[in-house]
Amino acid sequence: MGGIILHSVRFILFVLFQVLVLNHLEIGWGVYPMLYPLFILLLPFEMATVPLLLVAFAMGLCIDALSNTFGLHASSALIFAYFRPVIFKLFAPRDGYENTEESNIYTMGTRWFIYAFGLLLLIHHTWFFLIEIFKLNEILLLLRKIGLSVPFSFLLSLFVQFIFSSKKKSER
Amino acid sequence: MRNLIAFFQRFRIFLVFALLQVVALSMYFTYSDFPRIQMLTTAGSINAEILTIRNDVTKHFNLEETNKQLQWENKRLREKLKNSLYKEDKGFITVDDTLFRQNYSYIPATVINSTFDKRDNYMTIDIGRNHGIKRGDGVFSSRGVVGIVHLVSDNYAVVKTVLSKNINIDVMVEKGGSFGLLKWSGLDAKRGSISGISNDMRIKKWSRVVTRGGSGIFPRGILVGRVEKKGYIEGKPLWDITVRFSEDFRSIQHVYVVKNLMQEELDSLQQQIPEDSEEPEL
Repeated sequence: MGGIILHSVRFILFVLFQVLVLNHLEIGWGVYPMLYPLFILLLPFEMATVPLLLVAFAMGLCIDALSNTFGLHASSALIFAYFRPVIFKLFAPRDGYENTEESNIYTMGTRWFIYAFGLLLLIHHTWFFLIEIFKLNEILLLLRKIGLSVPFSFLLSLFVQFIFSSKKKSER
Repeated sequence: MRNLIAFFQRFRIFLVFALLQVVALSMYFTYSDFPRIQMLTTAGSINAEILTIRNDVTKHFNLEETNKQLQWENKRLREKLKNSLYKEDKGFITVDDTLFRQNYSYIPATVINSTFDKRDNYMTIDIGRNHGIKRGDGVFSSRGVVGIVHLVSDNYAVVKTVLSKNINIDVMVEKGGSFGLLKWSGLDAKRGSISGISNDMRIKKWSRVVTRGGSGIFPRGILVGRVEKKGYIEGKPLWDITVRFSEDFRSIQHVYVVKNLMQEELDSLQQQIPEDSEEPEL
């Protein structure tokens, strides 16, 4: 029960942070940081894929509605949620995920986090910019946007975890 | 039947994924052309409400710059007043000549949300149907052309800015009058290009690029930018002209919506032109 409330609050906070802060950052060079994939990553392990997809879709729609992207974020969030179980299986530790409740950088280790989340983020951003641009002759623009935005989003996600996850641990 | 159920059971995840993906993508690809459900855009009332609150907080950060701009515009308008002119030149009165019927009227608006780094960039303004604006009206600011109204709700509207794929505003180089369509390549929020100017026309660097007023969306002569560079397009007798926008889309606050009071007359006349004319698509 507490988990549902925690994730609902997180849902709202991630949407608002993306829409009110990140969408308005003026970084330039085609950098567009996205933080909400981290929310989908942090959803509980035991969550089945179908509800996962629905939550991701709802999140994408909320962000779309507030940033005039008409379904672009929804589509990319779906991709992220769809690949999450696949990637998790691919990078599963030897003794499985049995006694971990949340997949943040502290419970899973830096190495796992870099590989699994990095790959998922790359898939997500590639899909996002691919659909956004949707023209083969602008492939350089596409590559530049992906190449610059992925590290930025990744570092931002790391940063957010350093700030919030550790604090939560000490509270428990 | 059992096989069918078993099939659905087995591919449940993929089917849900595919279904939602189709919904999202069809929304994305049809919205930018034919907007339908307003709730899912920033013209929807709750969403616009949230963004208005945000803008109320952040608009003060640019107050100094905004004031300077408005002051500058006031100065320019004051200079155009009759009593500050020595002799009336016909060139000064292009849009709104009081001797004739009013052709264009302007409605001021505040930008409450905008982007500049997407492939298609939109901005939300705080006036809508109740203030008499409609889809297809032009939008400009004191610095230059901004875009065209794309979606309207009762109190808000979404504007498709010049920084979009199919904006195609008809513009001309002020000196010489050669005209073409304004395009944006998606790379740089400061620069766009003009297509369709034949390369035997003479074009000077840094000459002003203004709207042509052909489709009745904008009055003639609103600044778009200046010619920054021209080059040849391989295999075509056309100039490749780069325009530096006079508008800075990164710090835009106040805009005006153009209402053409004679739009219907113009449209009905232009519809009689046989096809193959280059009408800008919205």
